[in-house]
Amino acid sequence: MGLDTPAFRAFRGTEPPRFASPAELECAKVLDYYGVPWEYEPRTFVLEQDEDGRVTEAFTPDFYLPEQDLYVEITVMKQSLVTRKNRKLRKLRARYPDVKVKLFYRRDLERLAQHFHLDIAS
Amino acid sequence: MGELGAEIAHDYAGREPILVGSLKASLVFIADLSRALPILHAIDFVELAGYGSAQMGGHEQIRVLKDLDLDIRGRDVLIVEDVVDTGLTLNYLSRTFELRGPASVAAVTLLDRPYRRLVDDLPVRYVGFVVPDELFVGYGFDIDERYRELPDLRLLHLSADRR
Repeated sequence: MGLDTPAFRAFRGTEPPRFASPAELECAKVLDYYGVPWEYEPRTFVLEQDEDGRVTEAFTPDFYLPEQDLYVEITVMKQSLVTRKNRKLRKLRARYPDVKVKLFYRRDLERLAQHFHLDIAS
Repeated sequence: MGELGAEIAHDYAGREPILVGSLKASLVFIADLSRALPILHAIDFVELAGYGSAQMGGHEQIRVLKDLDLDIRGRDVLIVEDVVDTGLTLNYLSRTFELRGPASVAAVTLLDRPYRRLVDDLPVRYVGFVVPDELFVGYGFDIDERYRELPDLRLLHLSADRR
């Protein structure tokens, strides 16, 4: 996706981030503005493997905040459509109980957008 | 307010904290809190250009629109927030103040939405109310600079075209 990405200051990753949605880009800009170090999709968590060890289900949270040791997944899907994502999140928490992950729903993003005057249209 | 004041007075007995109001929404809260705080204390204000605000002016890093007038070195600083939500603003303020060598930095917030935190390591020591995911106006809270003057907090229900 051809989203224009500014030169981030608090980005701590190695590869330039390629955001999948305007909402992700706006969240990155907010984190950057407040100087909160962040990485973009730095880790993929294996959720399910078949008998041969092949990965059949995985989950890659959008952001990682190293100072908070927190993964953040954002979704602009309507609440009624996030069931699959919620299920993945439950699996992740069950399989990686020490990993802190937070899901920001559309409603959360709309509140943030109102507060920060964001353009999160997907 | 009386309960908050009494709790803070107990914890800061024998000291003289500086209440630092984060403008603008905390204005009414800090005025009431100060009058409910029966110990000596100073008052100062700070204002940051919030992301997306008119004051941001295209800057990509946070800007301090109004810095402290008082020297906080060796002093007990109590940041007075209207609401702690993601924690981004309070995180920036507390880290900035810590660099100036205060005796301590803590925060009191009128409203708290802990379920929306992006930053957890915050010095929030006193909380007025944990509130649901609703918009409030009045008592210093605004929407587009309106309704701050309402004497108490009110729930705001936006029509569909304002969402």
